[in-house]
Amino acid sequence: MPIGFELTAEQKELQALAAKFAKEEMAPRAAECDKKGLFPEDIYRRAWELGLMNLNVATEYGGSGLALLDQCIIAEELAAACGGMTTSILANCLALQPINLAGTPEQKERILKPFCADYHLASFGLTEPSGGSDAAALKTRAEKKGDHYVLNGQKCFITNAPQASLFTVFATLDPEKRDKGITAFIVPRDSPGLSIGKEEDKMGQRASSTATVIFEDVKVPEQNLLGKEGEGFRVGMMTLDSTRTPIGALACGIARAALDHAAKYSLERTSFGKPIAQHQAIAAKLANMAIELEASRLLTWRSAWLVDHGHRASLESSIAKCFSSDAAMRICDEAIQVFGGYGYMKDYPVEKYLRDAKLCQIYEGANEIQRQVIAREFLRRFA
Amino acid sequence: MDVIVCVKHVPDAETRLRAASNGKWIDPDGVKFTVNNTYDEAAAEEALRLKEKCGAKSVRVVTVGPPRAEEALRYVLSMGADEATHIETPADALLDPLTVARLLAGVIKTLPHDIVMVGKQAADDEAGVVGSALGALLGLPSYAFVTELAPDAATKTLKMHRYVEGGEEHFQGPFPAVISLLKGAADPRTPTLPNILKARKKPLTKVSLADAQTRAQALPGAPASGAVRSFALPPPKTGAKMIEYQTPDEAAEKLVKLLREEAKVL
Repeated sequence: MPIGFELTAEQKELQALAAKFAKEEMAPRAAECDKKGLFPEDIYRRAWELGLMNLNVATEYGGSGLALLDQCIIAEELAAACGGMTTSILANCLALQPINLAGTPEQKERILKPFCADYHLASFGLTEPSGGSDAAALKTRAEKKGDHYVLNGQKCFITNAPQASLFTVFATLDPEKRDKGITAFIVPRDSPGLSIGKEEDKMGQRASSTATVIFEDVKVPEQNLLGKEGEGFRVGMMTLDSTRTPIGALACGIARAALDHAAKYSLERTSFGKPIAQHQAIAAKLANMAIELEASRLLTWRSAWLVDHGHRASLESSIAKCFSSDAAMRICDEAIQVFGGYGYMKDYPVEKYLRDAKLCQIYEGANEIQRQVIAREFLRRFA
Repeated sequence: MDVIVCVKHVPDAETRLRAASNGKWIDPDGVKFTVNNTYDEAAAEEALRLKEKCGAKSVRVVTVGPPRAEEALRYVLSMGADEATHIETPADALLDPLTVARLLAGVIKTLPHDIVMVGKQAADDEAGVVGSALGALLGLPSYAFVTELAPDAATKTLKMHRYVEGGEEHFQGPFPAVISLLKGAADPRTPTLPNILKARKKPLTKVSLADAQTRAQALPGAPASGAVRSFALPPPKTGAKMIEYQTPDEAAEKLVKLLREEAKVL
């Protein structure tokens, strides 16, 4: 079968829907939410109403049931309006993916269906204060007691935690066993002993909320065990394998917005009697930005295509996420440079893109870990 | 009660336009076409409300246009219409509004129709002909620039509202009828993602141009239509004056002086 890059009519319609929502509802509020650190719940509710929230949940459980490439197309459009809002909108995909992958039909019916039937947020609880990259060393304890488990510990930097009604949580039954002891659980917000800590004051993506989640003798019934005991690490890694690619798309969206602003400005702003776009130094910058954005999007789409066609894509999804987020940082940095002094001012939109893009290098697997995965996967071919 | 809504696929308001080399219209190459113009979207929304609030049985969306115009139909199907009919013209066909009305009328005549809705005019050629012409060709009353409508199925009467110079008018008339909408009672809805996916499975019938022309032959009279002689984009605006200033106060002072003495608007 030939490789094609023409979007289907249906994909173009989804793209147009996301673009319309991004332009009409997200973009006008982006600067204010960033400045004041507001969590625009009405926008997230509207995203749910439009079907833009639980993109990866099967339609039979009330999700949108989209392929990963379609999710990426939507993520880029949303992120071009606001990276932070996009993170909060897509956080459900991350939090619910362990249930998609490891949940039983009973769990999906009992938990996913009512969750998706109304506006709800969910959070993915893996990272801990003592570390995120070394996930096998996590410290949150789970103890089996009769027909339930008891959870104790802390998760940090958890997206949407203050507003979430559901958590997927990774805890260890035995720290000695490292990854083999890790087990995944579904934990409702109203479980006694579960509390939300301080909300973080972030550098960027400030329309998204981030907080610590504290577990003090939280009872989780056996029915909420995800997969089997000791399978949590595998579930977590498989989740990240499939949700990493849309982070590449999110980075593309932020970078695209920065490049669009820089390109328009370079045609309006004059120096030495001509638009600055006609100066080679600026034209070359814009060309490099366009090259990097194009490459980012192609890597992202190919990774998504592989996943959608049932291939293992640890290497390609890590490359897509890592390259696109690094490229987004360079593109946003250069966009500020094109704007000169104005770019450094908060009255102009470009400095926000740089702050928003930075998080893409850190969350869902820091780029250092991505490079480790890439090297490991790549070197395997020679071993 | 069967409702038909006619829409047109038009260039997006933000797209950059160039005149075509034949000097008759825009060059469609590279132009982003949008699903519908404001008035057609209002007509579609109102048609759907007739189904949801007034018990209309079905809503069918119809367009005349090149293959790309299918997008407009899919959009209205995503909004909630039940079926679509596409009278497909060649990509380079330039049809005058009266011809469009004849093609629509020929096809609509063969479909159940109690209320036919159109936007009051298209956003591209702004002709405003199709609604009135459709009424004449179908032998139905046509009501123009309507802003609200409430049908009474028992008496086959429509109560309507529209703005007239200096006031508002409430009026009524019989249906079946053709109604051209200025705006609807509600903002046009945005199709949701699940509805976009469902719309893919809704029936969309293609009618060839030749077939539609044959059907239109039975319609009354075929008056000669006007034709476009030439088309050009508006000339670039000139005459902007930049104010040189040192302080904001000075800028304001110079601006007020210009507005008062040169533009004479103050």
